[in-house]
Order: sequence, then C-alpha cells, then structure tokens
Amino acid sequence: MPESSFPGCASIDPLVTPYVDGELAAAERQIVRAHVQVCPACLARVSAEQAVQRLMAESKASLREEQASSALRTKCGALAAGMEHGADIRPRVLDTLARGTWRARLVPLALAATLVLIAASAFIYQLTARSPRLMAAELTADHMKCFAMNGLLGTHQAAATVEGSLASGFGWQAHLPDGPDREGLALVGSRPCLYGEGRVAHIMYRHNGRPVSLFMLPRKQMPNADATMRVLGHEAAMWSVGDRTFVLIAREAKSEVEHLATFVRASLH
Amino acid sequence: MGIRGAKTTPKRQGPGGRGPAFDVEALSHVDSLYRTARRLTRTPADAEDLVQETYLKAFRAADSFEPGTNLRAWLFTILHNSARNRARDRARDTVAVDSEAVERAAQTQPAGGNVTPETLLMRDTLGPELQAAIDALPENFRQAVWLRDVEEFSYAEIATMLDAPLGTVMSRISRGRRLLFDHLNHLKPVNA
Repeated sequence: MPESSFPGCASIDPLVTPYVDGELAAAERQIVRAHVQVCPACLARVSAEQAVQRLMAESKASLREEQASSALRTKCGALAAGMEHGADIRPRVLDTLARGTWRARLVPLALAATLVLIAASAFIYQLTARSPRLMAAELTADHMKCFAMNGLLGTHQAAATVEGSLASGFGWQAHLPDGPDREGLALVGSRPCLYGEGRVAHIMYRHNGRPVSLFMLPRKQMPNADATMRVLGHEAAMWSVGDRTFVLIAREAKSEVEHLATFVRASLH
Repeated sequence: MGIRGAKTTPKRQGPGGRGPAFDVEALSHVDSLYRTARRLTRTPADAEDLVQETYLKAFRAADSFEPGTNLRAWLFTILHNSARNRARDRARDTVAVDSEAVERAAQTQPAGGNVTPETLLMRDTLGPELQAAIDALPENFRQAVWLRDVEEFSYAEIATMLDAPLGTVMSRISRGRRLLFDHLNHLKPVNA
C-alpha cells in the first residue's frame, strides 16, 4: 500500500480535491503537479478522485433520471397557488409569527377547500412545565401545520375510522358529535404531526369551510385549564374532563369558538 | 432554526417580493430537490414530505430571497435545513454513526496496492451500481459528493447548505470520493 512518505504530503492532501475540480489557482496547481510527479501516494489519491469525479460526470444523466412524481408536482404547484389565494389570512398571522421564534417552525395556512376531518397523532412539547397560553400556542402551531399538510395531501376519513384510530391509539372510546353539519361542521382526514414530545389526539373539522382543530391530551396537563384565550390570531378554548384535557382551536370569533366547544363537549368525554 | 436566507438577507419592504416568475422558477427545481431529498431520507414518502416542506417555507419566505442570487442554491439550503430539523426532531429514530471511525476508515488509501490506469477507468460501472454506492456512503460524505458531483454546486454554496466550514466541505467531498473509489474497485473482478 502506498504511504505518504514524502515531505509535504500533509500540505498537499487538502489541495487534492480542489485540484481535481479545477478550483486551484495556477501557483497551487503547479505545486500539486510537481509533487505528484515524485510521490506515488499522492498521485494515487489524485488518480482515485479523478476517476470517481469523471465517472460521476459521465453518469450524470443516469444519476439524474429519478424524477418527482406527478402527484408531488401537483402538490407543490397547488402550494404556490394556495399561498396566493390564502393572502387574506397570511399577512396578519404570519407577521405575528415572524416576529417571534415561531417563524421557522410554522407553515402558513395554505389550503384547498376539499378537506373535511382529521384525526392525527400530534406531538407537543412538555406541556406540564408550561403555561396554558404556551400550550395553546404550541397546539395552534400544530393546527396550522396539520391543516396545511392535509390540504396538500387531500386525506379524508370517515367518523367511524377516526373513532377507531382514537380507540386503538389512545384507548379512548370516543363518540364524535352527531349531526355536526347542523353546526356547519364537517369532518376531515388524518395526518401525524411532527412536533414535540408528547402524544396527543388531533381531530380536525371544517366549520363553514374554515379549519377547526380539537386536541385531546390523554393526561391531565393543566390544572384549572377551563378558559378561552387568544393566541397567534386564533381563539383556543380549553377544558378538562377526568384525566383528559381538550383544546379547541379556530380562527373565529371567541363566541363562535366557545359555541363550538360547547357543542363538542356535550358528546366527547 | 431559521431559514438561512431569511436570517442574513434584509427583509425587503413593500409588496411584490414574489411573483409568478419566482413560482415558476422555484417549481422548475422540483426534480433535483426530490432527488436530493431521496439522499436525505429513508423513503420516497419522506422525501416527498421534505420537498413539500421546502416549498412551503420557500413561498412563505420569498420576500427574504435576494433577487439575482441563486434561487436553486437557496432552495437547497432550505431543504437541508429542514432535513436537519427533522433529524433533530426524530433523534430517537436515527442511527448513531461513529463519525470518527468513519473518518479514520476514509483516511485509508485506495485498496489493492496495485492502482493502475486500468483499474482507475471504472467505465463499466453502471448507473444503478454507482447510485447504490453513493447511497451507501456515510451521510456527511454522501451529501457533499452528491451536491458537488451531481448537482454541481460550488464549495461555498455547499458550505451554506450543510452549515459547515469550506474546509470541512472539501474534506468530505474528498473522503466521499475515496470511499466510492474503494467501494467500486472492490466490486470489480481482480483482473478487470
């Protein structure tokens, strides 16, 4: 095996890659050339890198064969369009978010109007150490994210499916409210949320077309959480039943959110 | 962490930061973003999610994109930042790599002791074989080699994407190529 036995090999080594890539200035290029003429070890390094680099260059067409699916193209295109159509809700919410540390974690609400309900596992940060307001903010972020992603994916679940996943995922024999349409509510699809550390159930509705999220936290996270508060341009209504804490979030008037919370609360325990 | 461009570029005032031309050009890079996302994730579905997250962030942060600079490089930076954030969020799922051991292994010379021009040609290496060898590289080396040799970014652009110093980028490219060389030569018959 060749050894780096010539003086100067250590200083040549970092130059090998830019030399192979043609990124060295003339003087440095000359130093490498002179060195490899007398140093088989460094010549072997240069030759190996050159061989791979040339092979990659020749294989570029093949390496670039893999393409995005037409579904992905459509989703990304819809995203661009959705952002324009969502202009009415964007500035206020996003500018609020952009001022704080939320900016990188949040995605805008960019939705096609096709959704109707979501039950999802959402992950939230260690809630016990936080205030109800922070918890509401975390959940509002998940609310926006899940609806945006669901808008892209176009998922869709029936009430029985949602109830089944709540039972298997959380041991929660939930009965979703009957006749949601009387309240202008329609059930949507399902998508796991990616944030946080704890697991919560996330059921999503549309209320007259606008997104509504209902979160169920399996352990009682907040003492005296019965309240409605305004966070990130949304209203969040919280309440507890037994060990479970519920949070309903929508970007609607406080009275409307409280009305929806009352409606949901009557059925869900 | 934030989007790098959004941190370093002053936010421009007034409307019109993002027009149809921005959307069209951004969307024209979906194939190379997806291919690169495939190298950053385990499944095609994860790669698609990552590309969508990238576009969501890009359209939202369009005002912070500096017109006249490289939109493709900017998108790739968002892609890699998002991938890093995901890796952190899912740290419990990731396989820890003994990076020092990997780097030591990468320090070794091309094997065989008999490096001749013939063995260096490797012209009969097939695309899928090369792709598999690239995908088998340790993550840091794979990303650097891919961005340089397939996506043809500059060292400086790659340094921004990977959030690593220039020297580190060059050394990762170097070691990645040497590992590939070793791997591809081991696949050959002795007298090839």
